[in-house]
Amino acid sequence: MTIGAGLVALAAGLAVAIAAVGSATAQGKTAVAALDAIWRQPDAAGDVRGAMMLALAFQEALTIFVMLVALMLALKVTA
Amino acid sequence: MRGDAAWWLAEAEQESAAAAAHGDILFHIGPLPVTSAITTAWAIIALLALLSYLATRRLEKVPATRLQNALEAVVEYLEGHFGSILGKERAWQYLPFLSTFFLFIIISNYSGILPGAGHLKGFAAPTSHLGYNAGMALVVFFSYHYFGVRARGMAYFKHLADPPYMLPLNLVDELVRPLSLSLRLFGNIYGGEAVLAVMLTVLPYFLPTFMMGLELIFGYIQALIFTTLAAIYIAGATEHHELVAEDEHRRHRGPGPRAQGKEVLP
Repeated sequence: MTIGAGLVALAAGLAVAIAAVGSATAQGKTAVAALDAIWRQPDAAGDVRGAMMLALAFQEALTIFVMLVALMLALKVTA
Repeated sequence: MRGDAAWWLAEAEQESAAAAAHGDILFHIGPLPVTSAITTAWAIIALLALLSYLATRRLEKVPATRLQNALEAVVEYLEGHFGSILGKERAWQYLPFLSTFFLFIIISNYSGILPGAGHLKGFAAPTSHLGYNAGMALVVFFSYHYFGVRARGMAYFKHLADPPYMLPLNLVDELVRPLSLSLRLFGNIYGGEAVLAVMLTVLPYFLPTFMMGLELIFGYIQALIFTTLAAIYIAGATEHHELVAEDEHRRHRGPGPRAQGKEVLP
């Protein structure tokens, strides 16, 4: 494996790791806010849960996009 | 060495690279290649059609068969879910469209967890292939524009340039919707399968079981997210009686705990 291929592999791994930090932070904040809301008003638990799922999906999507880029990079190295 | 973890990993990578390169084409219909994902999708469509036919063959007001009872529960759940976004009246109007997507996506996601998925010829989860998700996202994209024009006429396109300077941003937003819709579903399902494959090579006996349990939850959530977003797009496109519907929804929910005199913690 050349140094260039190694750098590409490193980039693929780091990309997902760095993106996951951002998504995890945001998802943690979302979950805390939603749990707080459910604790304050258990009647609205269903509504809050639905909105939370949606917000989580949007945050998750960013890491997923990066993962696709990383997979493309990884396939480039193995091919 | 043949049989150890590194060998399996290399095999799996080669296999996926080969599948990505020319696909696992089973046969051709005219110029169109038919892959395992497509035959699985046909099987899912046939299964859904058969279930619906069997359940609605002898409809009764008080369900006589267990199947009718079970499917009524599904329809009621979906109606309640979409009703909270679209309002009751519009939820019924668009329920066939949305719940078809939901049922197809959830069964397709779960089909990827069955043994042999992706390895047997003619059996692969359709939603772990980008092409299938892109097709569904495009159907959603064109449908909600059509619904919008049907509900509001040509005035529908005015919302794109509501403050005129927002036009470019709104156009980008519209075009990104099908892209993110399809990539989110594909990434989650394909990513889940890839993680499962890696776990199988690392610790083949117990670890994957937990991941499969998680996959059941993810498959359900992703089906729900796809259809919820479709419902939100439709709600935005057919907006003009949305405010009325929302008011109705608020009124029927009744007063919160504070208004009922219950003690509410700060």
